[in-house]
Amino acid sequence: MSEKMKVIDVSKCTGCRGCQLACKQWNQLPAKQTKNVGTYQNPPELQPNTWTLVRFQEIKKDDGSVKWTFRKEGCMHCTDAACVKVCPSGALHHTEFGTVGIAQEKCIGCKECMSACPFEVPRYDSEKNKVSKCDLCFSRVAENLPPACVKACPTGALSFGDKADMLPKAQKRVAQLGGDASLYGDGFVGGTHVAYVLQEKPEVYVKLPRNPQVPLSVIIWKDLLKPVALLGAGAVVGGALLHYLIHGPKRPVEITEDGKKEGGN
Amino acid sequence: MTNHWIDIANSDVILIMGSNPASNHPIAFKWITKAIERGATVICVDPRFTQSAAKAQIYAPLRSGTDIAFLGGMIKYILDHDLIQKDYVLNYTNASFLVNPALKLPGGNGGVFSGLAEGKYDKASWAYQTGPDGVIRKDSTLQDPNCVYQLLKKHYSRYNTDLVNKITGTPKEKLLEVYRVYASTCKPNRAGNSLYAMGWTQHTVGTQNIRAMSIIQLLLGNVGIAGGGIQAMRGESNVQGSTDYGLLYHILPGYLKAPTASMPTLKVYNEKITPTTKEAKSLNWWKNTPKYTASLLRAHYGKNATLDEAYSYLPKLDDGVNYSWLALFDAMHKGKFTGFFAWGMNPACSGANSNKVRAALGKLDWMVNVNLFDNETGSFWRGPGMDPDKIKTEVFMLPCASSVEKEGSISNSGRWMQWRYKAVNPPGEAKPDGEIITELYHKIKALYIRKGGALPEAITKLTWNYGPAGGFNVHAAAREINGFFLEEKTIEDPVKKEKKTFKPGDPVPAFAMLQDDGSTASGCWIYCNSYADKGNLAARRNNVDASGIGLYSEWAWSWPVNRRIIYNGASVDTTGKPFDPKRAVIKWNAATKKWEGDVPDGVGDPGAGRPPFIMKPDGVGSLFGPGLVDGPFPEHYEPLESPLKGNILSAQRVNPAITHFERSGVGTALDKIATASEEFPIIGCTYRVSEHWQTGVLTRWCPWLAEMQPGMFVEMSEELASEKGIAGGDKVIVKSARGEVEAVAIVTPRFKPFNINGQTVHEVGVPWHFGWITTAERKYNRGDKKAEVFTSGDAANLLTPTVGDANTMIPESKAFMVNIAKKGVI
Amino acid sequence: MKKEMIQATSAYERFIHWLLALSCLLLCLTGVGMMYHSLNVIGVVMGGLQGIKSVHNVTGVIFLVALLLAIQMWWKEAGIFVFPEDWEWTKAAGGYLWHVDKVPEVGKYNPGQKMFFLTVALCGLGMVATGLAMWFPFYFPMEIVRWMYPLHVLGFAVIFAFFFVHLYLGTIGSPGSLPAMLNGWVTRAWLRTQHPKWLKEMEETGSLVIRDDD
Repeated sequence: MSEKMKVIDVSKCTGCRGCQLACKQWNQLPAKQTKNVGTYQNPPELQPNTWTLVRFQEIKKDDGSVKWTFRKEGCMHCTDAACVKVCPSGALHHTEFGTVGIAQEKCIGCKECMSACPFEVPRYDSEKNKVSKCDLCFSRVAENLPPACVKACPTGALSFGDKADMLPKAQKRVAQLGGDASLYGDGFVGGTHVAYVLQEKPEVYVKLPRNPQVPLSVIIWKDLLKPVALLGAGAVVGGALLHYLIHGPKRPVEITEDGKKEGGN
Repeated sequence: MTNHWIDIANSDVILIMGSNPASNHPIAFKWITKAIERGATVICVDPRFTQSAAKAQIYAPLRSGTDIAFLGGMIKYILDHDLIQKDYVLNYTNASFLVNPALKLPGGNGGVFSGLAEGKYDKASWAYQTGPDGVIRKDSTLQDPNCVYQLLKKHYSRYNTDLVNKITGTPKEKLLEVYRVYASTCKPNRAGNSLYAMGWTQHTVGTQNIRAMSIIQLLLGNVGIAGGGIQAMRGESNVQGSTDYGLLYHILPGYLKAPTASMPTLKVYNEKITPTTKEAKSLNWWKNTPKYTASLLRAHYGKNATLDEAYSYLPKLDDGVNYSWLALFDAMHKGKFTGFFAWGMNPACSGANSNKVRAALGKLDWMVNVNLFDNETGSFWRGPGMDPDKIKTEVFMLPCASSVEKEGSISNSGRWMQWRYKAVNPPGEAKPDGEIITELYHKIKALYIRKGGALPEAITKLTWNYGPAGGFNVHAAAREINGFFLEEKTIEDPVKKEKKTFKPGDPVPAFAMLQDDGSTASGCWIYCNSYADKGNLAARRNNVDASGIGLYSEWAWSWPVNRRIIYNGASVDTTGKPFDPKRAVIKWNAATKKWEGDVPDGVGDPGAGRPPFIMKPDGVGSLFGPGLVDGPFPEHYEPLESPLKGNILSAQRVNPAITHFERSGVGTALDKIATASEEFPIIGCTYRVSEHWQTGVLTRWCPWLAEMQPGMFVEMSEELASEKGIAGGDKVIVKSARGEVEAVAIVTPRFKPFNINGQTVHEVGVPWHFGWITTAERKYNRGDKKAEVFTSGDAANLLTPTVGDANTMIPESKAFMVNIAKKGVI
Repeated sequence: MKKEMIQATSAYERFIHWLLALSCLLLCLTGVGMMYHSLNVIGVVMGGLQGIKSVHNVTGVIFLVALLLAIQMWWKEAGIFVFPEDWEWTKAAGGYLWHVDKVPEVGKYNPGQKMFFLTVALCGLGMVATGLAMWFPFYFPMEIVRWMYPLHVLGFAVIFAFFFVHLYLGTIGSPGSLPAMLNGWVTRAWLRTQHPKWLKEMEETGSLVIRDDD
């Protein structure tokens, strides 16, 4: 199977949130009671029952004018996915499309992926003791259908296809937009399978990491300490064995009634 | 819409004014986005920076209710810079028509046109000059001081940028930028489009707002072309259908005028409503009116009655009496009628001045609430401030099927009649509307037969051939709407010029073949052709676009006669050559001697000199519009409730032709108005969000939607918030002279205070989707449905005034006066 | 032959020891069972990985309790180095690694044991702290939680090393030691070899509990 990619063209997003709802509908994610806290954005953050949401952000320009950006947030489906790296159960895995799937039945709720993800995407459901996140509608993509969010998008802000086709298209769009526009997603974590066409500079967008990467802690832990620990454990076991063979055990010295020493060394 | 949704992609400049399609017509933005990709410029003019503004290249703020000043300034700009499309204006508009020299324009007449007396215009001075033969006198040089062009120039000469800026609060450079960019579409190869919705209609000058834009579009030659026109983006998926089928009080199906008491016979009726003209080349399509009225009467009564008898059964309006929504609820409040069907509507939240509406519902003996869910109307008697013990109204709830639970058609804003299929069965006892009406019909008919009563024939003689008693076959209804022959008839096809004989029962192929002699029936003449010999064309799903400009002529069916862009006869010059050959809507094929492209509108053979606006008696577009009740040219008036004491433009503060319910002897004690008052110094405006629909009866019960927009909010500027000590997320009371609502503050730089003639004026906005029935705080009885996700707050219409547009009576919900305070402070 | 047996440990001491030892062992087992996919099989008897995780978490709590009691019990005896003899013993590596004619005499706990105790105590607390942060990540900044994982593994590596050496020296590496933690009775000879100073102290204070084995 070819690698797939979803492109989120922020310049075309009108914030209608059809994607947010379509995601809930396809994945049968329940709604929770919310309240307005002074913004259209709701739920305020990703949740176990909200795998994608549109972030509404107002930007005041120096000339007094205003911009209003709508950025759909969700799993970026990294090639070098920290969550897959740390997942002990194999619940998080790479699919044949290069996306990051999640086998909920395998998830043990250890939450390790939550701290590992540079985008803070996985969310923990304490009721189910499971972590959940967007799987880029694997069930749809496997049937050659676009993800639900893409299907619902009225403006073409969301598009989906083979990564090999989508990347040049996204780059072309960036060139067309010019100015501060940029492609976000290709230059880190081995390339993502969700990319943004950003209209503003990346640092303008809240909660969008400037330079996301697999955290150093994960690299140290998975690539260094994991083998080293095994090596160390082996060394200790081997060392003890060697000690027994070469040096021998330390026996207590018996003092017999005749005062001779027995044993010891 | 003159055009259709897909056609927006053809535009070069799109003016989003009086609408917010990004939020409220999200699919429209598919085509707007395509236009942008093609290089189009999107202009958004709105009191607040909307989601649409976020996607527009140009945003210009304006104070609510000042659109005519803004657009009047544009008309002046176009005329001053001579940016009109001359051939178009000269040949396809009434620019050259000479008007009665007695006409006085508001500039020299205290802000009103001549002929005003006691809130009504005598339009004699607005008439055209005619020659001895009755033909309108014209000056093709456009120099005569009484010609429409010169009058237009004179009228809008007052709308200079300085003055417009003082009225609207729009910065001058923004005004000029918008004018310059939009006027660039005067070139034949540039198309300017106008997308409006309730932001233009819900004003006391609503009709004139749209008139002002129509004038601009005609001056720039933008009507009838691909990517041009005036697009009324409807507030519901089938509002177009409901008006087409005569749901409003003043019209019958197909926009035939409703008969009044002074039209006792069909003959008189036809004479009074059928327009005539002496313009030799004008087609004056409405001259066919008697054919459509006869066919409508036949659809109603078949051969159970003669045409004259059938006409006599039609209800007649009392002359001069207004039966619009506001007037009806006013009468209800005064106890003038006893029963009421709230069918698929929620007036307790959707009605302007909802407190008055809710009180009026309590004066009824009975009410039938036909809806998917219980709503604030059906349960009004247990709403906030109500004492159920003191309310006599008996309420019946009839659960009905939703649009996916029944088969039928809807007509979208682009006039497409699209067939839909049933996806699931309605739950429980819910039934499709057609079945409910059919059941009612049979019961009422039985009652009339048994008990008699006033004019029983109006009911007993109706035909009801929609399947077996109690059943309702939508296809039978659709065939009746299309029309059929009642008698054998041989007719010459007006297009193919060949004779054809039809037998009784044969469908009528197109409305050109409808007859005035009673030999044809048609339930709605503009839909004739939709379900004829080729079957149900609304069900077509061919998505091949042969036109290259997105007409998709074989997808569904569009009225009239599958024409996708109406007035398309104006897209070609008088010789038949498209103004913009690259985006030709129609073109003449000299070899076949036929028009190609869209179904041609209003064109005879090229060079025949037929003016293309065939629905106008004189055949041309109306720069000068003497048909309206409040003036032949749009003039700026303040909203009934305004922050200003007077009108910066003239001595006339408000539209002189509106009905003042607040005056003694007109409305009720609840019709309070507070204009230029210190108590209510802030402009209020209502609008929608993407997540909710109408009063929210369908959407508030949907937990996914309620989760995204969980309740009433009020948007305000940072400046106003700091003045009032309000922070984002605070609970705020929004209050008008008529009522108050609780809302959560959204403090945003997207609202900015206006500088109106040196005075700082604030504006706030509230969505109108909420109501008490889905809140957590209300009282629940056993068995009451509870929303899975509660919403907060009650209806925004508790704030809005009882006042309507002078022509249509659409309430002024887009500009009224309020005050706000952090909850607990007042 | 009659052997003179001396009581080296109390029942309470042995209970805490084994509680700590077994919970630690189980934590190591379940830990590596989660850490290495190839060792996931360990979870089979616990109902899969989900079971491993639950066992690991619950055992962690038991471990914490045992650790706190052990610290309370041993910190005075095994948590404080006594100079210069402990230094002397350390220089000679207790006679475990090369031949030493005369191993410096040590009391109840030799510096090796003290080091082991301190390591277990400190690393154990560290494991508990990092483990709790991993278990309840929402109460800490993600940046901090991220580092808990490598620290937890590092702690594991150290504890495991000491644990295994302790196991070796408590069994085949030092015959006669095991009974001290099984029934509590050791031979006078073993005691004289391993903890001569303690033996002398007990002899002097008269706290020696002796039993003759037949």
